[in-house]
Amino acid sequence: MKITDACVYPYPCGDSSVRRMALDAKVLGFDRLVAADTPSGEFYGVEVYTGILIRDTSIRDLINRIKRERNIAAVISVQAGDNGYNRSAINVKGVHILRGLHSADKNAFDHVAARTAADNRVAIDLDLSPFLSGRGFTRQRAIQRYRDILVLEQRYGFPLTLSSHARSILDMRAVREIAGLCSLIGMETPDVEMAFFGVDIITSPPGSSVKVI
Amino acid sequence: MSTRPPTLRVKRRYLLIRIEPAGTIIDQKALHYAVSDAITSLWGDVVGAVIMSAVVASEGHYVVIRCQRGTEQDLSIALSTITTCGDIPVALRVVAASGTIDSLREKIRRVKTPASESVSPRECTFDKKLFQINQYNGQKIDVIEKGFKNTNRLFLTREDLEEL
Repeated sequence: MKITDACVYPYPCGDSSVRRMALDAKVLGFDRLVAADTPSGEFYGVEVYTGILIRDTSIRDLINRIKRERNIAAVISVQAGDNGYNRSAINVKGVHILRGLHSADKNAFDHVAARTAADNRVAIDLDLSPFLSGRGFTRQRAIQRYRDILVLEQRYGFPLTLSSHARSILDMRAVREIAGLCSLIGMETPDVEMAFFGVDIITSPPGSSVKVI
Repeated sequence: MSTRPPTLRVKRRYLLIRIEPAGTIIDQKALHYAVSDAITSLWGDVVGAVIMSAVVASEGHYVVIRCQRGTEQDLSIALSTITTCGDIPVALRVVAASGTIDSLREKIRRVKTPASESVSPRECTFDKKLFQINQYNGQKIDVIEKGFKNTNRLFLTREDLEEL
């Protein structure tokens, strides 16, 4: 199990190279990064996974895109939309993470979507950037949504991931700082640890549902 | 005004903070306002009054911030939400907490050994653009784009420049 930041944006999306982000991530306590549109590799002892973020597409286009990307070992994320879209996206085979629920509708993620996410092992991403860059209503809304997601997570047990969405090394936070920020939404230390290991859970092959004795 | 007896004094703790990126010069007053704003925004005025934060010392790119004992965690969470100080983008990393400023000063002296070095202006190219190397720190290299406008700061490593 490796402590993972589930989304960073290295150069050219951000102002830091993937190597520099990996170097700083190691100092901050991470073992792995999911870097958007960056080839996978290992730098300074930190594993880097390719991250693909799909947004503003219909479900049909989403399925086609995932078919095209199937041969690439990448963590595929989908930007959340309305409730119907999210339910469908979670059911698409190959989707790993549903992102951006803090800015989606209030009812975008309900108990049905939560149960489907748990069955299909699709993780829900907790983006910490509204806590860092947001003030006032933006941050309050994010806290409210994440608290609601945590209620569903405790009931249905779908995986969670934590991401900084850092576009610079200055936006990255240490593991301890992230644990502190997660305490704002009522996450205890074991919950935070599980969320750090979320990428491991979604990328490892599923265990057999039938146990052979 | 006579000082209070030790048992009646407010117990304080001091956090040692490292300011990133290295070489950033920050006004202590601007930092105090940034910290105060972050605390008020996150915890509100009531908790802010309990924390009683103050920037008490500064040495190179380290600063010492004071708070009331027992509120270190609240203060460090608030510090992690700071992204700019004035107009300068910064990150504040909590290095240590202590009951005295002296022990933190000692820690600065111990930690400071692999200090970043400002270099004489040297040029390099990255992604077909011309940059001026601003800061070296081991593998880390900070560069600033040359030109009159859009002079972005990039955070690279030695390998990034050697690869080209």
